[in-house]
Amino acid sequence: MNTELLKNISENLQKGRAKLVKELVQQALDEGISPETILNEGLLDGMNIVGGKFKAGEVYVPEVLIAARAMNQGAQMLKPYLEEAGVQSIGRACLGTVQGDLHDIGKNLVKMMLEGKGIEVIDLGTDVAPETFINTAIEQDCQLICLSALLTTTMGVMEEVVKKAEEAGIRDKVKIMIGGAPVDDAFCKKIGADAYTPDAASAADVAKSFLTA
Amino acid sequence: MTNRERFQAVLNFEKPDDRLPAVEWASWWGDTIQAWVGQGFPAGLGFHEIAPYLGLDQHYQFWFPHRNADCPQPASFGGPIAEDEEGYEQLLPYLYPDKDIDGIIEFIRTLKGRHDAGEFPIWFSLDGGFWFPRTILGIENHLYSFYDQPELYHRILDDLAEFQMRTLEKLYSVLTPEFMTFGEDMSYNNGPMISEDSFDEFLLPYYNKIVPYIREHGTKVIVDSDGDISKMIPWLKRAGIQGVLPLERKAGVDVAALREAHPDFLFIGAFDKMTMRESDEAMRQEFERLLPVMKTGGFVPSVDHQTPPDCPLERYHKYVDMLKEYGRKAVLG
Repeated sequence: MNTELLKNISENLQKGRAKLVKELVQQALDEGISPETILNEGLLDGMNIVGGKFKAGEVYVPEVLIAARAMNQGAQMLKPYLEEAGVQSIGRACLGTVQGDLHDIGKNLVKMMLEGKGIEVIDLGTDVAPETFINTAIEQDCQLICLSALLTTTMGVMEEVVKKAEEAGIRDKVKIMIGGAPVDDAFCKKIGADAYTPDAASAADVAKSFLTA
Repeated sequence: MTNRERFQAVLNFEKPDDRLPAVEWASWWGDTIQAWVGQGFPAGLGFHEIAPYLGLDQHYQFWFPHRNADCPQPASFGGPIAEDEEGYEQLLPYLYPDKDIDGIIEFIRTLKGRHDAGEFPIWFSLDGGFWFPRTILGIENHLYSFYDQPELYHRILDDLAEFQMRTLEKLYSVLTPEFMTFGEDMSYNNGPMISEDSFDEFLLPYYNKIVPYIREHGTKVIVDSDGDISKMIPWLKRAGIQGVLPLERKAGVDVAALREAHPDFLFIGAFDKMTMRESDEAMRQEFERLLPVMKTGGFVPSVDHQTPPDCPLERYHKYVDMLKEYGRKAVLG
């Protein structure tokens, strides 16, 4: 197997060179490398490195965005092959910014990082009602509900989501994760959510640990 | 000592005679006022009526508009109103509204007598080199633009700087505000949104065009950025910036550590708003945390963003009392 080529995919993804990543993914497919290997050892490897650097403060939001864009474009090329081969994601999450809050950059970063861990993400957008999280989790069989809030005026909605999950009888089937400027671990415990993470890369690490436990 | 003199003293690292200024640097959330109205607060008060009603010092802020009232709005919150060079060209007739500035300058002129008499300090705000392109390109596209459209980014900042210099000339022909802020919001819970390299390539040249002129007039130059701005302070200092606000505790900002690292830098804010949701005792402990820094000068303590709606009105009154109590302790011992 051409490990140099996979390394090239990873390195160029880290630099956000989407066009080149697509060319290299095509080259890897042409050389007969399995789509799953290209995904795991090329694209996800690169995104994992970016996530680690982001967590360590070595790269910043624009660098994460362009890397994630390169990953998505490469992954899009692999999608039909992965489906044909029956390769599954490691789990499914629904994610959104809670009702009353329209801020979405943090939520979008979490989405990118989750996808970088091989997790399927249903992005519910911003200003999402508690019922929508619950209904989506039930209908789409999500193992994770990820909640984002930027404002002190909206963080209380997170508690409503936890309560609605209990009322709907799915609380033991889903992990509820929270993040955003006004929340912390103490708030997470207070409202009965499962995890607070301080940044998008940590959110992806914790999400993966929940799904692979 | 007048209200204005008190403020000037702190900005110059001098001790006011009586206490530190007691101000809210930002207006209150609508939700907070609404909650307070249910607790006996009079409805319908404007900012300049709310502050004295609550026992706070008066100040005037002017945020100069950077686009006119007819400017297209984004289709959704944080969306773009121009996506590329061509879109920006089409938007130009709506941007940099000199006529609107003239109207504001005339209003400021009407305040000059009261400002001269020391009734209140005046500060003004400009859209900064991070903030303004974001309002044009949209939150996410703006972050991509550092890599995708660097020429456009530079062009926007060149135009912005020219407009702001025209605005400043008009302003300084009338009076000299005590301080100003560049609205930026370029940091978040985990620090800066952009790298130092990006800051140097894009924002530093922009600041270098504006900041020296403002400082020449004696107005203190402060950057307004939510989140954890700590790591950016050395970058900002290289750009001639003299202070930051609001120093969000929840984002991990440690104002005491910042004071130690930057003894000559101005701070406004730093009071952890989350304590206002808890108890009177939590607020007192928060003031105790801030007191040593309050004593060093160059620091106007204030809520580190806006008072949350679940802070009862009665507790807010106690907050104002404590703000003045600790403001006296900082000065008088």
